[in-house]
Amino acid sequence: MDSTTISAGRLADQVNKGELKARELIEKVLQNAEEQDSRLNIFCSTAGEVALDQASAVDKKIEAGICLPLAGVPFTIKDDFIYKALPTTLGSLMFKSFYPPYNAAAVEKLIAAGAVVVGKTNIDNMGVGATTLDSPQGPTLNPREPGRIAGSAGAAALAAGICSLALESDSGGALRQGASHCGVFGFLPSAGLVSRHGLALHSGSFCRVGLSAAYPEDLPVALNVISGYDPRDPATAACREVKARREKLDDLSNIAVGYLETLPGLASGLHRNLYQDTLDKIAALGVKKVEVRLTHLSEALRAYQVIAAAEASSTLLRYDGIRYGEAIEADNLEMLYCKTRKATFNGEALNRSIFGTYFLSKGGYDRYYRQALKVWTLVRLELEAAFDQCDLLLLPAVRTEPLPVSGEPDFIDLYEDNLYTVPASMTGNPALCLPAGELGGAPVGVQLVGRLFEDAFLLSAAVKIAPALASAQQELDGGGN
Amino acid sequence: MEYETVIGLEVHVELLTESKLFCSCPNRFAADPNVNTCPGCLGFPGILPQLNGAAVKKALTAALALNCEIALYSYFDRKNYFYPDLSKGYQISQFHVPIGSNGYLDSEDDQGQLKRVRIGRVHMEEDAGKLVHSPAGDTSLVDYNRAGVPLIEVVTEPDLRSSGEARRYLEKLKSILQYARVSDCKMEEGSLRCDANISLRPAGSNTLGSKTELKNMNSFKAVEKSLEHEIKRQRVILKSGKEVISQTLRWEENSQETIVMRGKLQAHDYRCFVDPELAPIQLTAEEVEEARQNLPEMAEERAARFVKAYNLPEYDAAILTVSRSLADYFEACMADYDNPKTAGNWIMGELTAKLNSAGIEADCCSFTPLFMTELLKMIDEGLISGKLAKEILDQSFTGGKSPRQIVKEENLTQISDHGELEKIIRQMIEDHPDSVENYRGGKTKALGFLVGQVMKETKGKANPQLVNELLLKALK
Repeated sequence: MDSTTISAGRLADQVNKGELKARELIEKVLQNAEEQDSRLNIFCSTAGEVALDQASAVDKKIEAGICLPLAGVPFTIKDDFIYKALPTTLGSLMFKSFYPPYNAAAVEKLIAAGAVVVGKTNIDNMGVGATTLDSPQGPTLNPREPGRIAGSAGAAALAAGICSLALESDSGGALRQGASHCGVFGFLPSAGLVSRHGLALHSGSFCRVGLSAAYPEDLPVALNVISGYDPRDPATAACREVKARREKLDDLSNIAVGYLETLPGLASGLHRNLYQDTLDKIAALGVKKVEVRLTHLSEALRAYQVIAAAEASSTLLRYDGIRYGEAIEADNLEMLYCKTRKATFNGEALNRSIFGTYFLSKGGYDRYYRQALKVWTLVRLELEAAFDQCDLLLLPAVRTEPLPVSGEPDFIDLYEDNLYTVPASMTGNPALCLPAGELGGAPVGVQLVGRLFEDAFLLSAAVKIAPALASAQQELDGGGN
Repeated sequence: MEYETVIGLEVHVELLTESKLFCSCPNRFAADPNVNTCPGCLGFPGILPQLNGAAVKKALTAALALNCEIALYSYFDRKNYFYPDLSKGYQISQFHVPIGSNGYLDSEDDQGQLKRVRIGRVHMEEDAGKLVHSPAGDTSLVDYNRAGVPLIEVVTEPDLRSSGEARRYLEKLKSILQYARVSDCKMEEGSLRCDANISLRPAGSNTLGSKTELKNMNSFKAVEKSLEHEIKRQRVILKSGKEVISQTLRWEENSQETIVMRGKLQAHDYRCFVDPELAPIQLTAEEVEEARQNLPEMAEERAARFVKAYNLPEYDAAILTVSRSLADYFEACMADYDNPKTAGNWIMGELTAKLNSAGIEADCCSFTPLFMTELLKMIDEGLISGKLAKEILDQSFTGGKSPRQIVKEENLTQISDHGELEKIIRQMIEDHPDSVENYRGGKTKALGFLVGQVMKETKGKANPQLVNELLLKALK
């Protein structure tokens, strides 16, 4: 591939120095995006002229002597983020020409930092899911193994060499599992670190803004651009109040990584071996190993599903076709709601609307929702206790290979795939999925979870650890330059 | 069998804030639909609620003014249901933990005795928009100007025993919330709305009978009337040995009767749960104490001050402080006029009568305190008579012209000019020698006749006191 596959840091450097024109770069990026998209089904919409105008604006600033941290860096936006120049389809045909008149905070900040929008990437209906099988345009294919799903279209865009950064969302693990499937770095920052303004979320408790990158060094730079307090997302008040225990990492030998001795739910011994190998490689760098116990993994998963469904059932009520989107005409109001919403939702978004309504109902609240809240507290306490013993926690990212694209998986089985991603979702801790190897022809990643607001520490550890994990695997994009 | 009436009231009050509860749209009336809206209050995706701190302060003040216990930790829930005026498909409300609970309000029962009405809870919530139906009834449009306006809901325990008690409770509640500067409480404009739960039970029983809920009462009078109507209806049912069906009824102002809105089986399951997009509200004991210390003066305190500062009779002070706007009006007059008793009389009498018949409050009447003092000063100066003053007030109240301007334009000034009056008096004495004779002969009644003649001659503009004085002098 051409120069677009190199790191965001190196691209920005070249553009800032005037060695590379952002516009020329983006012209190539768009061309590549089109080619890859026809093969992999990555985009809902591409930015075209909008991207070229942005790139020209970047070039003008550089000529004026302004230095931009992400000058000319191409990035994709998951389609549950609002960017007013492109439609926000929400993965539903009823929103195919929906243009909300504002920008997501993270999109705005990335553009202001010189990054250029390539397009908006495919999502499951209403952004609920981690497969893109529930997308009206069908699933995004895995660039590394096109017979299987990518999980995340942003991760696919990175793996296909289209862009340097992907703006993603994650509630139960979509971003991290997608990164695992595609062999890229998927980062979920601490809850409250990045503003969710402009993210069409379905769960206020769990939905977070995240970033994926082909190179781990790019994540701290991009995180720096998008993080910080934003009055439009009250949850970001926490990032001013909570102080990180550790900011910078000096030496890997000073830190401890927690690991699990027993790993329930993994699809095969191969996954177990990969986890063990990864742990050994990390230990070989001088990192101390500490066994920790997470005894509530299974209950956490179920509690997560109950709460996430409850919240989605309420948050998605607004999509009634009355104020925006499309409505299907009917003889009376009730039929208008029924027809419109039936045409709007499918797949997991529909499941959660139905289950969540039950979990919150008179019969379900005490039995399911209230119990789930209690489990949530236990999960928090257990993870906090684990971080008394270690600085980082090594967890699997996935329990199985990416699904075949032709598959029609049982949704209950899909829930199980969140077993190791849900704990960080529930506790708000930062988590990074980094490539660890390959199984059955597709990449597999592992997760490093950090303490709350120790995002910088986690990322700098990952930058040092990543090369050791990559040693046994082939180069991501064939050398990349 | 004798029955006891049991009533509980749920009152929604709009808070007086600059902006809405969760976005920065203005909280004010707009004639055009959907002008006070933004993506947030229209329920667009990606917009998170931002809590308006000023609304929390108002709610706290209201809860304290109603003698509530304050929850230092409270939070917002979502109440989920579909209706086009509800932009997000759920209303954000405090269901599980209200900001105030276990309060009370002191009112009067039907015998004029002190009646303490317990207030179970005071909680915050957002208002919904409203549907506007086309005259033909075939289409409905939605106006979201009101969507997201901050409200408090004040819920009583089932302590009220008659429609009169209910009305007095509402009047007192309105007075307290107005004095606390929490709301303007204008029921006609919808800034105060009341639903009533009502049941009957055999006198002496401690268990509650099956209840109905009354909605759509647009005035305190309508609340009282609809309750009376419902008490009668339930009594007839019970006396005939049947059971009252638990349902929601709608008061029809035009026909003065209730119609069934929905039965118990259609009752909603609102699936209330904590709103995950909002942080809990955390107050400190110091903040609550500060708010308590800063509670504005209430009606009783103000009346006591009026007695002391203005030397008013207690009765006058009580009437002048019935509403904050009236009390403010009185005090505004006092800034410019130094006879409290006179001003009080005019405000309690003439002005209140005009306000009542116009159905407005003193703060939005065009006859301002400045006009009132102008009018009173003209009486004091002898420029106009009291009778004429009433007519001028009448004219100014509706027309909006200042009293001085009216007097000037219509040449209404009282004749107090000695020379002019003496001339007329001399003429009258000449014209009525018999009366003069009678008076001098000891028939004092004849004086009245002569005064009357002078008044007639001047078309009522002569200063009557002066006429009396000058006539006596001329007849000596």
